[in-house]
Amino acid sequence: MKSLFRQRSGVFSKITTVPFLLLVIGVGGYSWAQVIVMAFSRLRIEAGQFVWSPAGFDNFRDILANDVALYSVAVTTIFVIATVWLSVLLGLLLALLVQRSKRFNRLAQVVLLWPAMVAPVVVSLIWLLILSPNIGVLNKLLDTFMLPTQDWLGMEVGAIVAIVIVDVWHWTPVAFLMLYTALCAVDEEAVEAARCDGANEWQVIRYVKIPMLMPAILGTIFIRAVMGVKAFDEMYLLTAGGPNNATTLVSLHIRDVFFDQLNYGYGSAFSVLIVLLMSLIIALVLTVRTLRHSRFFMREVQE
Amino acid sequence: MTAGSHAIKAEVATRSKLRRRHSLSDMTSDAVLVLLLLGFVAPIVWMIILAFQSDRAIISMFWEIDLTLDNVASILSPAEPFRAQLVNSIIVVTGTVVLCGAASTLAAYSLSKLRLSGWLNAAVNVSCAVVPLLPPMALVPGFYVTLIQTGLLGSLTGLVILNTILNLPFATLLMKIGFDDIPPALQEAASIDGASEARTFWMIMLPLSMPSLITSSLFTAIMTWNEFLMGLTMTSGGTTSPLSVGIASLVQPYEVRWGQLAAAGSLAVVPIMIASVVASKRIIAGMTRGAVK
Repeated sequence: MKSLFRQRSGVFSKITTVPFLLLVIGVGGYSWAQVIVMAFSRLRIEAGQFVWSPAGFDNFRDILANDVALYSVAVTTIFVIATVWLSVLLGLLLALLVQRSKRFNRLAQVVLLWPAMVAPVVVSLIWLLILSPNIGVLNKLLDTFMLPTQDWLGMEVGAIVAIVIVDVWHWTPVAFLMLYTALCAVDEEAVEAARCDGANEWQVIRYVKIPMLMPAILGTIFIRAVMGVKAFDEMYLLTAGGPNNATTLVSLHIRDVFFDQLNYGYGSAFSVLIVLLMSLIIALVLTVRTLRHSRFFMREVQE
Repeated sequence: MTAGSHAIKAEVATRSKLRRRHSLSDMTSDAVLVLLLLGFVAPIVWMIILAFQSDRAIISMFWEIDLTLDNVASILSPAEPFRAQLVNSIIVVTGTVVLCGAASTLAAYSLSKLRLSGWLNAAVNVSCAVVPLLPPMALVPGFYVTLIQTGLLGSLTGLVILNTILNLPFATLLMKIGFDDIPPALQEAASIDGASEARTFWMIMLPLSMPSLITSSLFTAIMTWNEFLMGLTMTSGGTTSPLSVGIASLVQPYEVRWGQLAAAGSLAVVPIMIASVVASKRIIAGMTRGAVK
């Protein structure tokens, strides 16, 4: 309920947003404006100072001519699709199992927090200690059972599979928590009603629980997709984009051109392109959702 | 609802419980769950075990056990930059929690309880929605130039400011949800008693919002402690960098001291694991509430 006393607005209410706006719009917005200016400039460093000169669309032309840049967009797309589906499916399975389980319910919730809370750098370290061809525990295990050892991090497809596995291990707990919370909010009466009508466990899950979870599943897919585009830390240490650039996600490509090749204009232009691409996809998703909602509404009205 | 329908519901519930208790499928589903949980925990446990293994045992092709405290001792020795990095991380986390907590509480309070002018409201709301969607890496070039211009490149102050910007939107959202739960009648009562807006905030609303502030601070602290990208790109390494960057720099191209690496990783992880056991309810609530809204 809105308060009647809200109309009196003093100096205090004006000051309260100042720190937020100063930091996010002031520093953040100013920095983003710099990225845009840099994207259309050529930059050199002379005596520790940046020297700017206008470059028009040259940087963007360079990106379109760069195989690594185009490849990084492609491999990021594959990475996002693979990790989103795997982590949402695994998270859903965990949520259903944890809800059923009386004995491990509490334990599972605490234990599943750990991978998500561990620093991404440490996650890559943990998996280096497993996947390393020389000292990794996976090869020790394979060797013990007389199986051929692996060198996934040294192979192109193997490295991509490895970063997908690591990302799914790292972030499935987030998908689990969101889906589990939604599952606990599912109306028990609907579930009991289906059971009384003779539905077996699988039918209850397929025809009652999953449809009711759909909004939460879509929300989780969206959040996991955004996280996938942001991914950087784990790959930086685990594969450093290699072998042969096979795991160069967009963020690794930006870091490489900006800090190793010192190509500031190009790095900024690529940042701008990625943000534009993301906004486009998000706008598309929102439009489709609105259209489907309105169509759903129309059908409701007609019936 | 009548008492009769309650009784029927209870009966149905007990019957289905009875049926389920006897079923084998409960045991199989528990078994699958335990296997999955092991998969999520075993990698972390393995790192902690390696932290107490000698390098010789780690490199060995066989399953050797050679327990030692050397790794932990050597990583904490004054000759290593690890201790300085630990202090850096603690300073950055403290600074970010304070700055982010203050800025997010004030902004969330005015969003939730005060009448803001339309464009101020929109500016805060839009930044809360947009900033979490941007890949931090896309912002790095801009931050880098801004920090050079202000002379803050490589300083802990710079890291505090950048971490605050990255965490502010989510913290503000969590705080706003917290303030929304406080009934407006309290604000009216204080106002009738003649308290100014600032006084109402400080004496009544802030103490009541403490649970949300603790949750959001916990989140900010964990995110900042784990932060790697800004530390990597905005400091020059060695004793100037935070802990996460220090751990990454232990992976050298020529000789990797695996035991030290595992020890450093474990030292970074154990505080987080303890925090997540102690405050699991808070963390889960924060994660799910913030994400759903």
